[in-house]
Amino acid sequence: MASAEDVKQGFMLSKNQRAGLLSFLSAQGILVFFLISMLAFSLFSEQFLSQSNIMTVVRQASIIGIIAVGVTVVIIGGNLDLSVGSMLSFSTVLVVDLHDKIGPTNAILVMFAMTLLIGAVNGFLIGFMRLNSLIVTLAMLSAIQGLVLIYSGGQNVDIANQGDTWFAFFGRDYVAGIAVPVLLFGLLAVIVQVVMSFTGYGRRIFAIGGNPVAAVYSGIRKNWCVFSTYLISAFCVACAALVLGSRVMGSQNNVGQGYELLVLAGIILGGTSLLGGAGSIWKTVIGVLILGFIQNGLLLMGYPYYAQWLVTWVIIILAVWLDLAYKRKHLFTTHS
Amino acid sequence: MIYKTALATSVMMLSAGLVQAEETYRIGITQNNVGVDSYQTTYESAFEAAAAGMDNVEVVVLDAGGDVARQIGQVRNLVQQRMDAIIIWPTNGQAVIPAIRQAHQSGIPVVVTNSKIAEAGLDYIAAFSGPDNVQQGASSAEMMCEALNGEGQIVQIAGQPGYTTAMERSQGFEDRLAEACPGVEILETQPADWNREKAQRVMENFLTKYDDIDGVYAGDDNMGVGALNAAKSAGRADEIAFIGATNFAVGYEAIGNGEYYGSIYQSPVDDAEAALQTALDILAGKEVPKMNFFETPKITADNLTEFDKPVF
Amino acid sequence: MTTLKSFLRGGAFIQPIWIFVIALFVFFSLMSEYFLSLGNINNILVQTSTIGLLALGMTYVMINGNIDLSVGATLGLAASLAVGLQPLGLTVAVLASLAAGIVIGAINGLIVWKTGVNAFIVTLGAMIGVRGLIFVYTQEQSFYASNFAFVDFGASTIGPFPVLAIIFLACTLIMHLVLKKTGHGRNTFAVGGNPEAAMDAGIRIGRNMLINFIIVGFFAALAGVLLATQMGASTPNLGRDYELWTITAVVLGGTKLTGGHGSISGTLGGVLAIGILRNGMNMMQVPAFYVLVILGAILITVLIIDQRLNVPTAKGVRA
Repeated sequence: MASAEDVKQGFMLSKNQRAGLLSFLSAQGILVFFLISMLAFSLFSEQFLSQSNIMTVVRQASIIGIIAVGVTVVIIGGNLDLSVGSMLSFSTVLVVDLHDKIGPTNAILVMFAMTLLIGAVNGFLIGFMRLNSLIVTLAMLSAIQGLVLIYSGGQNVDIANQGDTWFAFFGRDYVAGIAVPVLLFGLLAVIVQVVMSFTGYGRRIFAIGGNPVAAVYSGIRKNWCVFSTYLISAFCVACAALVLGSRVMGSQNNVGQGYELLVLAGIILGGTSLLGGAGSIWKTVIGVLILGFIQNGLLLMGYPYYAQWLVTWVIIILAVWLDLAYKRKHLFTTHS
Repeated sequence: MIYKTALATSVMMLSAGLVQAEETYRIGITQNNVGVDSYQTTYESAFEAAAAGMDNVEVVVLDAGGDVARQIGQVRNLVQQRMDAIIIWPTNGQAVIPAIRQAHQSGIPVVVTNSKIAEAGLDYIAAFSGPDNVQQGASSAEMMCEALNGEGQIVQIAGQPGYTTAMERSQGFEDRLAEACPGVEILETQPADWNREKAQRVMENFLTKYDDIDGVYAGDDNMGVGALNAAKSAGRADEIAFIGATNFAVGYEAIGNGEYYGSIYQSPVDDAEAALQTALDILAGKEVPKMNFFETPKITADNLTEFDKPVF
Repeated sequence: MTTLKSFLRGGAFIQPIWIFVIALFVFFSLMSEYFLSLGNINNILVQTSTIGLLALGMTYVMINGNIDLSVGATLGLAASLAVGLQPLGLTVAVLASLAAGIVIGAINGLIVWKTGVNAFIVTLGAMIGVRGLIFVYTQEQSFYASNFAFVDFGASTIGPFPVLAIIFLACTLIMHLVLKKTGHGRNTFAVGGNPEAAMDAGIRIGRNMLINFIIVGFFAALAGVLLATQMGASTPNLGRDYELWTITAVVLGGTKLTGGHGSISGTLGGVLAIGILRNGMNMMQVPAFYVLVILGAILITVLIIDQRLNVPTAKGVRA
């Protein structure tokens, strides 16, 4: 663990140097870690840095990434969204099932409408009813999974003529040599980052996540702001479902199971605080990519798939810890 | 103390049995994980349809949702409800044995369906009814050998780790391959949890890692088709023989298109009807063999037309 | 009216969830002839004991203002150790499992205390990592206890009552008394209610949290061992999603995620509510797909009712 080494060295340096090193590690810590692990993997596996491998990893990461973009907005606004995994199953099953029944265009429209509707339910319960987001989205995780199964009757859904539908575009095509899922991921990340950094709307989301009481006193309509973050999250899930449905051309009912945790892990790794009011889409993009490359690198090195879970445990805590340590200028808390 | 309760229960059962002797059999089934794939869902509806077609059978259908502990609870609930027979589709071949033993001690015959339980539990079951997954793995190995003319490098995409069906198919495949076809080497095995999208990702990684792959063995067609999707987008599908198990509709079509070499034909309807029939035979007091395997033949382009396209 | 409201708010000894539990009980007794029997009630108690034990520890951690997402994985690890280590002797196996739970709890607690990282993140990491440890240890295999004495313990009874249910109820009583009557219990509330004030009052909040994480780790391991005796076996996937049901049960019981508020009697009600719902819906043959939707809907409804009742007492601006 390269960063663990760095931390150890940090102890032996003088206080000033330590602060300097910490500040560097924290500001760029995730990036540094990313580069070191990429280097390490490339030493052990010659395919790791090949263009085709990198493209594969980024393409595989883009479904999680697209969802993570939306969830990051929810988290900056001071809430959580654990329902995205079930929602992804719901939207994918819906769009694939409707594809043959009402045609791709209508299927996509209906799927977006229904997904946004679920997002609106989340947003209403959390934004207007002011219920706790963790529990509401946990309950929705279960309820939506049930809805998917009721809708499909538990059957897998498939698209019959996979060869001749333009629906294949979203998951399987390339534009200018770049896979469409990657493009969609990049596009969404850029748009949302711009909105969050440069618009009044973005500032309001940061404000309600950072200090809700002050935000309300300054005239921000918190209800609507929170509500809207869940619509953004739902929109991103719908985009991810488009990619997933098109990539597989079929869907199982539990296809999104567990995605909520991968998404959260990526966001946390990127350094967005769960407390709200801080964070960025860029960080999330890097966090999601790190997860993807670690998983891929360990597989290429021949480790069993569960090795990545142990590594994820360590790096999640290290990443968040270093970030905090920098802010308070101490590695450890002082209370007893 | 346990025996006392068990005794009391069986006495009650006996008296209930006397009254209802000519009326109805109450049969409870706990399934593994309905909704996780179409096979299990189709099994469930076929089971219910078969039971509805008989006047003397009343069924209680439960689903364990893949959770061993919940399934054990369901077996206890079924014992509590004094079923005449219990059919169980084990979520795990080992962990359910004590619950089965309890039902057995309460005097309720247990039929295990679809997926075997470990040796130690065989004493407590009335019968097993289902496919022979080890044999299926072996058949797939033979098809692989045939497809590659006994020479080549392959990868394996297995079902969910820790589940009996996944382990038996892998074991049957690996053992038979080593014996019948020493020229075929398994480069690597990774699980994809019966999930098509996951299989697609696993295969993409295999394709990056290995420049030369001649064959893919997938634990079911759902995963096999995921692997095929990945190979198609990489433009390498033509050089690879795909072999699966539990023929799905998508796999059936892919065999028809010549993209997929072969699979194992296994009907959930046969599976469900066999289980119900076995239970009824036992209740009727007939002699039933311990192991009842229903036919699961190889299916390739050569004999495709002999089979109906699977409904799932 | 005020008394009714304060009663419903949980100001009295009995939490509102108990009204729900009683209502469910009456409902299912009327709906299914098999529901109301000693055997089935014992069944419910045994089946809820797993989530129940997890929820006891989780209540302490949540009153502290923390959360533990790793309980399901810890349960799985403890179950695998309890069965896998049996060749070394039953006592060794059980002690090793409980020790593993305590160590994982201590690791979580120490990290939360010393690094100040949010417990949600620390235990999310542990949830993923400990599951990895299970697979490293088991090599993906299920273990089977060839020793039926282990299994018979799980199925044994004292009088008409199953041992597992008695253990669960005894633990519930102890945890209730510790929370109500001891300094540690009072400190747990203080730390969750207002950490700064607690610190000013000289409470060692880090140590308090650490102890509570060790408690939840211990109970997760105990639940794992007892579940393993019920099954006579362990599987590497055991305990998946249990953290979600545990948190749900604790919240249903009136414990606040923000900390400083909660009770063991409420948690017992929450656990029983879920257990009775599951068991009753099984008896009534509600299709599994609908069970998921019903559970989700009930949870949200309870949250809404709970929040409506609490609106007048809320502090500050809640816009």
